[in-house]
Amino acid sequence: MRYTALCAPAIVSMVLAANGHAETLIVNSYGGPYETIIRERIIEPFEARFGIKVIYDAVGSASQDYAKIKATNGRPGFDVVVMTASQSLEGCKEGLLEEFSPEEVPNLEHLSSVIAGVAGPCGAVHEVQYLSLLYRTDKLAERPNSWNALLDDGLKGKIILPTFQNVMAAYLMEIFSVAHGGDLLENIDPGFAAMAKLAGQSIGFEQSSSVMETYLKGGDVWAMPFWNGRAQLLVDSGLPVDYVLPKEGSIPLVATLNVPKHAANRDAALKFVNFFLEKSSQEAWVTGYKVGSGRIDIEVPADIRAKQITTEADLKALLLPDLAAVATRLSAWGERWERDVVAAAK
Amino acid sequence: MNRLLTYLFRTALAAILAFITLPLVVVVAASFSPTSAVTFLPSEWTLQWYAALWDSRWLDPFLLSVELAVIVSLASGLLGVLGAYSVAYAKCPGHTAIMALLLSPMSVPQIVKGVAVVLFLSSIGLYDLLGTPGLVMAHIILTLPYVVRMAATAMFGFDKRLDRAARILGASVTQRIRYVLLPLIRSGLFSGMTFAFIISFNNIPLSVFLVRPGQTTLPITVINHLEYSLDPVLAAVNVASLLFILGAIILFEKIGGFSAQFHGGSK
Amino acid sequence: MAVIICSTPTKPLRAVVPVKGLLPLIAPSLVLVLFFAIPMGMMIGISFQSQTEGSPTLASYSRFFSNDLVLAGLARTVVMSGLVALCVTVLAYPLAYYLARATSRWRTVIFALAIAPELAGVVLRTYGWLIILEDRGFINSALIWTGLITEPLPLSKNLFGVVVGLTHVILPFGVLSLLTSLQGINPNLEKSAQILGASRLAVIRHIILPLSVPGIVSSFLIGFTMAASAYATPALLGGAGFKVMATMVYEQVLFYLDWPFAAVMANVLLILMLAAGFIGSRLESRLHQKLHL
Repeated sequence: MRYTALCAPAIVSMVLAANGHAETLIVNSYGGPYETIIRERIIEPFEARFGIKVIYDAVGSASQDYAKIKATNGRPGFDVVVMTASQSLEGCKEGLLEEFSPEEVPNLEHLSSVIAGVAGPCGAVHEVQYLSLLYRTDKLAERPNSWNALLDDGLKGKIILPTFQNVMAAYLMEIFSVAHGGDLLENIDPGFAAMAKLAGQSIGFEQSSSVMETYLKGGDVWAMPFWNGRAQLLVDSGLPVDYVLPKEGSIPLVATLNVPKHAANRDAALKFVNFFLEKSSQEAWVTGYKVGSGRIDIEVPADIRAKQITTEADLKALLLPDLAAVATRLSAWGERWERDVVAAAK
Repeated sequence: MNRLLTYLFRTALAAILAFITLPLVVVVAASFSPTSAVTFLPSEWTLQWYAALWDSRWLDPFLLSVELAVIVSLASGLLGVLGAYSVAYAKCPGHTAIMALLLSPMSVPQIVKGVAVVLFLSSIGLYDLLGTPGLVMAHIILTLPYVVRMAATAMFGFDKRLDRAARILGASVTQRIRYVLLPLIRSGLFSGMTFAFIISFNNIPLSVFLVRPGQTTLPITVINHLEYSLDPVLAAVNVASLLFILGAIILFEKIGGFSAQFHGGSK
Repeated sequence: MAVIICSTPTKPLRAVVPVKGLLPLIAPSLVLVLFFAIPMGMMIGISFQSQTEGSPTLASYSRFFSNDLVLAGLARTVVMSGLVALCVTVLAYPLAYYLARATSRWRTVIFALAIAPELAGVVLRTYGWLIILEDRGFINSALIWTGLITEPLPLSKNLFGVVVGLTHVILPFGVLSLLTSLQGINPNLEKSAQILGASRLAVIRHIILPLSVPGIVSSFLIGFTMAASAYATPALLGGAGFKVMATMVYEQVLFYLDWPFAAVMANVLLILMLAAGFIGSRLESRLHQKLHL
């Protein structure tokens, strides 16, 4: 049984042959609680409807997946991958990702044009989260409603920030920039000034969201920026935490489904993308994983609508930076972050 | 004076061993803790995370990792001895430069090696090798330098007159390899293969680019889980796999005097 | 490349087993060329690529050598790796010496203890160190509780934390390196010296230390290179202000997607290490010739 290492390809092809002509599809996404929900809400219904067998591949983060697509020139071994709008744009530009057409993925037409435009022609937006202000309900006397609450004296040494290589950091800087009189791209001095002040409040910087979480769980941190989908997971786990979309607004995390240019099972991949964007799938995903959607015609319970991006008005209230322009500035911003923000933390 | 030295030596040993085991204590405590907050109160401890391990989502990756580590350490053991022989034993001209080249893969950050191997295999169209065969080769590249270095270290200390004596006394080539050369590199080879096993067993940065869906190694499975939560189950995975491998070593020891065989050196 | 240099063994008597010195080198060289040299050659090619134009350029190289943040990272890498190599070698030596000489039942136990932590995975052990070293970690809590200090000592998110974490990860490799070398020393040498009246210290200084030079060089070299290419430990224990080359390379590959720049960093690191390795080997041969035969 354990001879797989040396003759894996042979065995895989034998297994495929033995199963007759059953179509397969390799979907790359995340592990942990995410995997449980996506299997139940999306993958199993998809398999039942199309008779296509889905192999679930939880290996790698979105950026590692993108690197793999780039290194293999669009033939990474998976057919569908969950990444973000930034990677969709970059991959489209480099010709590494399939461009979706309305004929092959009809449900794209149902996405709000506001959000579909953000991801470009190679990314199918299947989920929208926003950067929220996550806080401990047992430590903060009142519910914060402004990002400036993070700058309060009462939170000195009680917040934590992402490192710049976690895209939350750049977005937070841009949000503060807009809130303090700057803009999303050119005039970002107010944003960096605010981040430097914030760094003085912070106990440090962490790259990984799960490490940031442990500080909040342990009570060392009382408030921090966090993607609201994961914030909701924490709320549901019974921790005394809650999150808000502050009044200055927020930048979304636009999650996309992508198909690498030379995917082995292209047709099944397009079917999967289309299936995920269907109204019933989007409703199942929004209520299951508790995130927002780019489809504004979905029907969801009021409590979910209250906290998630589900309407045209919600989408329009978001700050939407030009992600292609952000990509060209990331490197310079990263250096400035080292000099202005990290240095201010000492 | 000598007694003082012995005393100092023992204290130093104890301190070093404490340093080695300290973080392990935290990992073990974490594996028994009911939540991700590590607790050191045995009354709160639970075995639930260990019970969760008897599941193919952890077992299959573990078995693949062990299998991979065994194949990699055997292969790089063989290749490493060949390389070390030329450099450290036969001392062919330019041996210092060759040694530096043989060791060079150590000096490249693993993510670069990973990207480079994938780029190379893709550019010549060998997509089928991406996956476990590529993983084996990439791990061999990763571990080969250590085996070469270890085998060479063993050979440096060797008195070549022993072999000359054997030859003069009429020993055949196979006899000389078997009775002179192999015993001499035994401990170096063992060290090098231990290196190779550990490095392959733990590898994340290269594996992440080369594992195939449904055939992931243990550290990759752990890191995928880690992305979402710092569960105690991860600590349990690591403690259990450590115990398993330790158990295997002790079993070998009982059967064949494993470490005496390899490390008997100077008894 | 290596094969050509090796074509004429100058001292045939030194090659004992009558296989020419270069012959065994073929197999490892082939593997190395196919799966390392050619792929790395491609990375070297990439380092001359430009994000925007088609023609080869030195832009990424000049960016490397003119950027103070990157150069500071390079310096930090060298300092950190040197310290780690030193700590590893110093701590591994007594342990390796014990393992090489002991005959008691404890030997296996201690050997297992020295190697086993390595099998518990690097990432989780590093989290373990974080729990021990951070401001509210065990050490600081204990020290504050006893009243020895009032403010937590800065044990993590700095050079100290990284050196501790990396030393821990690499120590077993140092032990194995030194063990290999120490086992090659004939214990009768020590015994005869002692019988002839040499003190323990003299035995250590004049016999054991000189004869274990190859092991010391191995341990130092392996410690240095492993530390310089480590990613997870500096990232977790060093904090945002502690960037080393390996962390920067990761960021360029995965986050900034600037592969030419990542390739430049990797190449500079490789050249630096090749030079260090070459010097190490030269030093070793020289010392060895001086001390041995």
